[in-house]
Amino acid sequence: MRKIRVLYLLVMVPVVLAPLAAVAQPSGVPPTVKDKAQIEAAVAAQAAPTQQAKPAPAPPAAKKPAAKKAEVKRTEPIVPAYSGIREKMAVIVFYVWLWFSIAVLIYFLRLWIKEADRVYKAKYYEPEESPRKDNPMAPVLGD
Amino acid sequence: MKIDMKKLAAWFDDRLALTPIFKYMTKKEVPQHEHSFWYYTGSSILLFLFIQIVTGIMLALYYQPTLEGATDSIGRIMTELPLGWLIRSVHSWSSTFMIAFVMIHLLAIWFTKSYRKPREATWMTGMMLLVVSMVFGFTGYLLPWDDLSLSATKVGTNIPMAIPVVGKWVTQFLRGGGDVTGDTLTRFYLFHVCILPLVIFAILAVHILLVQKEGMSVPLKDEIAKKKVPALPFWPNFILREVVIWLVLLGVLLTISLAFAPSLELTADLMAPAPEGVKPEWYFLFLFQTLKIFPANMGPVTGEFVAVVLILIAVVAIFFLPFIDNKPEGKKGKLIQYLGVAGLIYAIVFSIWSLL
Ligand code: HEM
Repeated sequence: MRKIRVLYLLVMVPVVLAPLAAVAQPSGVPPTVKDKAQIEAAVAAQAAPTQQAKPAPAPPAAKKPAAKKAEVKRTEPIVPAYSGIREKMAVIVFYVWLWFSIAVLIYFLRLWIKEADRVYKAKYYEPEESPRKDNPMAPVLGD
Repeated sequence: MKIDMKKLAAWFDDRLALTPIFKYMTKKEVPQHEHSFWYYTGSSILLFLFIQIVTGIMLALYYQPTLEGATDSIGRIMTELPLGWLIRSVHSWSSTFMIAFVMIHLLAIWFTKSYRKPREATWMTGMMLLVVSMVFGFTGYLLPWDDLSLSATKVGTNIPMAIPVVGKWVTQFLRGGGDVTGDTLTRFYLFHVCILPLVIFAILAVHILLVQKEGMSVPLKDEIAKKKVPALPFWPNFILREVVIWLVLLGVLLTISLAFAPSLELTADLMAPAPEGVKPEWYFLFLFQTLKIFPANMGPVTGEFVAVVLILIAVVAIFFLPFIDNKPEGKKGKLIQYLGVAGLIYAIVFSIWSLL
């Protein structure tokens, strides 16, 4: 039981930490485009994975800075899209990692469930029959 | 350093009186039978609600509920903030999943008749949760403040107008004036991030408390036959099985959110005419279509009025369903079962129809 939990934790920690590490990276999709004017052009240039291809890049006039600051008025919708083979591969790798982690976690959970069911069937924690009748937290904390 | 778990547990127990809670959890049992699978729907909703809270707080860190800032702030979240597009996508998809699971949960309880005595109040608080969840969706839809969301909100907030006497007031209250403006955005935001979360937690607390008080229902036929249904301890046997379901749901949610991230249209123009093909969120489609099929005028009243009244009657009837279906094992019980199936078919057909 304890071993299973240690293994479980070993898997769980990277599973939880990996997305956090990813969030800490200053990148999003499309990671290569950082400002809105760029994204318009980038989005228009490639077809989104889920949406139709967008019309040709915005006319240069639309990208000129407005009167005061460098605030650009958007003329095209923002459509998240994976640009280039590198990002497409990254998503596929992420999917594989995600489902592999889930499969591993479920594998350990199933062992844990089997053990919990066995302990229950053996009436290990039944008040009259349990050697641990004085410890109400035993089923919670394992031990 | 080796941490003595027992000592640590005893320390917490001393301060927080955890023993009765643990005792309860270890004693709580979940019946095991052919419909047990549906017991997982409630906790799946909780998972999505949790995700909504986490991603919602993350979005609220940067979202600006103003006419000038709303769309651009979401644009910034999507293009400048690390994984902002994904957080937005997860928030959007998780809301869809949450409402879908609320509906599945409701239908499962309808078809297994788990609302029967003594669980009437659990059902009624559940109905309130359904309405609150849908209002969550409705208020959230306006927040990007693009053409589509503006028009959908205009149409949606116009519906109460069909009700005589109070209708106009309700519409004005929802919009914060005669028309959808920046004031509407402010109050929708307030509802979405403050009032509705408070309301949902208050109702949810009662709902869960009632579920704990009554325990999980057993199938009607076993109850009638007074058969003892085998059960599993909630902790850890049942909760571990729930975790398996949560993991799979999380995987599906992330997979879909990554592949189908929502886009952002242009900022809404208050002066522009409504765009073609305004559609509400999927869970309102069947109601939307119902309103559309009624003729403009039906004698002395408008068709919309008749539709709104019929919908309200249906909602009230469903709210009081446990009292209407007071003999679930009899003929009336069967009829209500068929009505449930008819309602489901109606909702699916009308939703598809509205998309055609
Ligand atoms: C935010 C929405 C909701 C949440 C988070 C929620 C949560 C839960 C949970 C955790 C349970 C116990 C496990 C289970 O049976 O699945 C439960 C049971 C129940 N819920 Fe909900 N629920 C929600 C909405 C609803 C709705 C819309 C209805 C019906 C109108 C409803 C009616 C019931 C009933 C009658 C039970 C008892 C089932 C039994 O004893 O077999 N709930 N709910």
